[in-house]
Amino acid sequence: MVNEDNDTIDSDGIGNDSVGRRTFLGAAGAGAVTTAFAGCLGGVDGGGGDDGTLTIGHLAPTGMAMGVGSERSAEIAVNELKAGDGVLDQEIDLITENTELSTSTTTPIVEEMINRDNVDLIVGTFNSEITQGIMDTVAEADVPFIITGSADVNTITDYHGEDYEKYKNIFRTGPINSHYQAEAMAGYAEHLSDRHGWTDFALLPEEAAWTTIFRDRLPGLLEDRDLNVVYDEVPSVQTSNFTPFLDDIESAGADAVIRFFAAGGRGQLLGDWAGEYPFAVEGVHVASMSPEFWDQSEGGCVFETTSQSGGGGVTELTGNTMDFVETYESEYTGSGQEPPSKPMYMGFNTYDAIHFYAKAAEEAGTVNYAEDLDDIVDAMLSIEYNGAAANISLAGEDADYPNDVEPTETDNGEVNYPMTQWQPTDDGGKQEVVYPVQDQSAKHMKPSWMS
Amino acid sequence: MLESILSVLILGAMMSAIYALVAIGFTMIFGVGGVLNLAHGGLIMIGAYAFLVATSSSVVGAIAVPTVLGLVIATLVTAVASYVLYGGLVRYIEDNVVITFLSTVMVALLLTELIHHEFGSSPRTLLPIADGTLHLQGVGTRINYMYILGFVVSWIAIGLLWYYVSRTDEGRSILAVSMSERGAQLTGVDLESVKSRTWLIAGALAGLAGVFLGTLQTTSPEMWLNPLAIAFIIVVIGGIGSIKGSVVAAYLIGYLEQFTLEFLGTGYQGIFSLVVLVAVLLLKPEGLFGREFAHE
Repeated sequence: MVNEDNDTIDSDGIGNDSVGRRTFLGAAGAGAVTTAFAGCLGGVDGGGGDDGTLTIGHLAPTGMAMGVGSERSAEIAVNELKAGDGVLDQEIDLITENTELSTSTTTPIVEEMINRDNVDLIVGTFNSEITQGIMDTVAEADVPFIITGSADVNTITDYHGEDYEKYKNIFRTGPINSHYQAEAMAGYAEHLSDRHGWTDFALLPEEAAWTTIFRDRLPGLLEDRDLNVVYDEVPSVQTSNFTPFLDDIESAGADAVIRFFAAGGRGQLLGDWAGEYPFAVEGVHVASMSPEFWDQSEGGCVFETTSQSGGGGVTELTGNTMDFVETYESEYTGSGQEPPSKPMYMGFNTYDAIHFYAKAAEEAGTVNYAEDLDDIVDAMLSIEYNGAAANISLAGEDADYPNDVEPTETDNGEVNYPMTQWQPTDDGGKQEVVYPVQDQSAKHMKPSWMS
Repeated sequence: MLESILSVLILGAMMSAIYALVAIGFTMIFGVGGVLNLAHGGLIMIGAYAFLVATSSSVVGAIAVPTVLGLVIATLVTAVASYVLYGGLVRYIEDNVVITFLSTVMVALLLTELIHHEFGSSPRTLLPIADGTLHLQGVGTRINYMYILGFVVSWIAIGLLWYYVSRTDEGRSILAVSMSERGAQLTGVDLESVKSRTWLIAGALAGLAGVFLGTLQTTSPEMWLNPLAIAFIIVVIGGIGSIKGSVVAAYLIGYLEQFTLEFLGTGYQGIFSLVVLVAVLLLKPEGLFGREFAHE
């Protein structure tokens, strides 16, 4: 059934007479060489001098809600600094760039931020691959960089752990790293066991670098708490049909599955699970962090949980949480405003990071990282800041995770790692903080179809 | 073991039926017009989002319609979009394979950007037309009613299409053009009309596929890529331009994927399809049912 009339390319379809082949190749070659030389001559040595302006470069995937929330939160933080006491009498500028979830996109952006825009601080990066992709560039330039999205522990162990002096200008003020998150998740499972009597857990981490530590540590951590791991599988990020996994989890007799999903949304697992399978869905689900996820999933997310810094902005965590959320909502929530209607976890962390740096700069008395980097690093590691998401302090050079945010614990010893659950209401559903107990806005609910 | 085999047989049949919907329109357009319509995945995406807009109270609440009506609306909208794509663009450039190829890619990318702008990048969940699952306790699995509905709708669509192209004059003219444009023209067939109808039908099938894929998997601005890849694989294996080949290849791929998912894990899900694709290209490059019609 091949069509015979469409098998030719018009000879005049592609320009043969406008630019000669040799001319074109010559020009292209010259251009390439010139560009290469320009790149060599430029380097990434940055600025760093005190030009009277504190320029903050913000990196986030602003094509997605998480990045938009972070960008808006950065703007709020900068506006608050401008309206308040400022930072060392500096003008404050904010530059936001879209990382497009691509390392190849982000690297030249960072180089431009350092070389052209003379940023004094970089905040952001959502996923670990991008964070690690720009580590060397940022380290070479010495510009302070505060990670506010990615949580992979290797970002610290593989860099600061190998050469602290080189990477000392790179920090993370939140979220807590994945090593601590695994411990917190085990503590949360213990809480579920205490509340519902659940003892058998299934693990379903997607096949991605960020879930590696959960795969490695969580089974042992659960067994240390006398909880059973009855199922442990790693689905590909390409998985679109979760029925076989759900069937096997049910057959294994799990009370709950702890899944770790970031890619693609994975809302389809919920569609098959909700109302059908007799176990709870817990863990980390990036799509479910969106305040709009109830509508996006048509209510299919009911009873599922996810961890997220800031607890979705639904309850007070630190004394500063809801003030920030209300500011965000007053500026960005309402008719005609694009989602997200709350900052989301990266927004909380970005907001806190900028305020944290402002406090550190005041402490150090300088933002001139070219001359005073050690003073800035010392200040970063010495201060405490009560942010919107958590009370932040950073680990020192000799710690297991230098320059990384220290986890905090509640009065009853639970790691401050908020878990939110979508719970039904009379007219739909809403997120509630269900863990740690001290911060609960509601108690965890067992799915209504579980016996 | 027996449970797993039964599970593969049942779930494979369900998924394959939807793959057939994805691939048939793609192969029809190539068969009739010789056009590799790389916007076919985009049309599938239009079907999913048209259903979302029509049925979800969270998008345009005032006009949320019942899901069955939403399926009809999505099918019609996608059919019209496909018709417009042909009449407004492809018909003017279809003689140039490269330009057509590139233009349809551009259309797909443009659709992605438009969807991204209007609905954001977050994946959406479509309301199921048939909610719940059928619990097959003997097999140890559940089948989403949407899979069952998709299976039924797919075979109804295939049956109607078969009846149309083999039992009606209009349908037979499509078949004639696919065999030989010149020959069909000599017998008085209106070429433009046949091509327009083909794009309309292909669009309708893409719309149906979009609703089922969007409901059972993910509705997002990137959802068109995977169906397009599947359509490519199926159509090449089945024989480019062969409806029968597309149906057979859809079931081959569907069962292969389900088998690997059940017995080897998700990491291998797509590998066997590609192995079969390479084998077919090497051993039988015209596909399993290529050249099933006379050609001068």
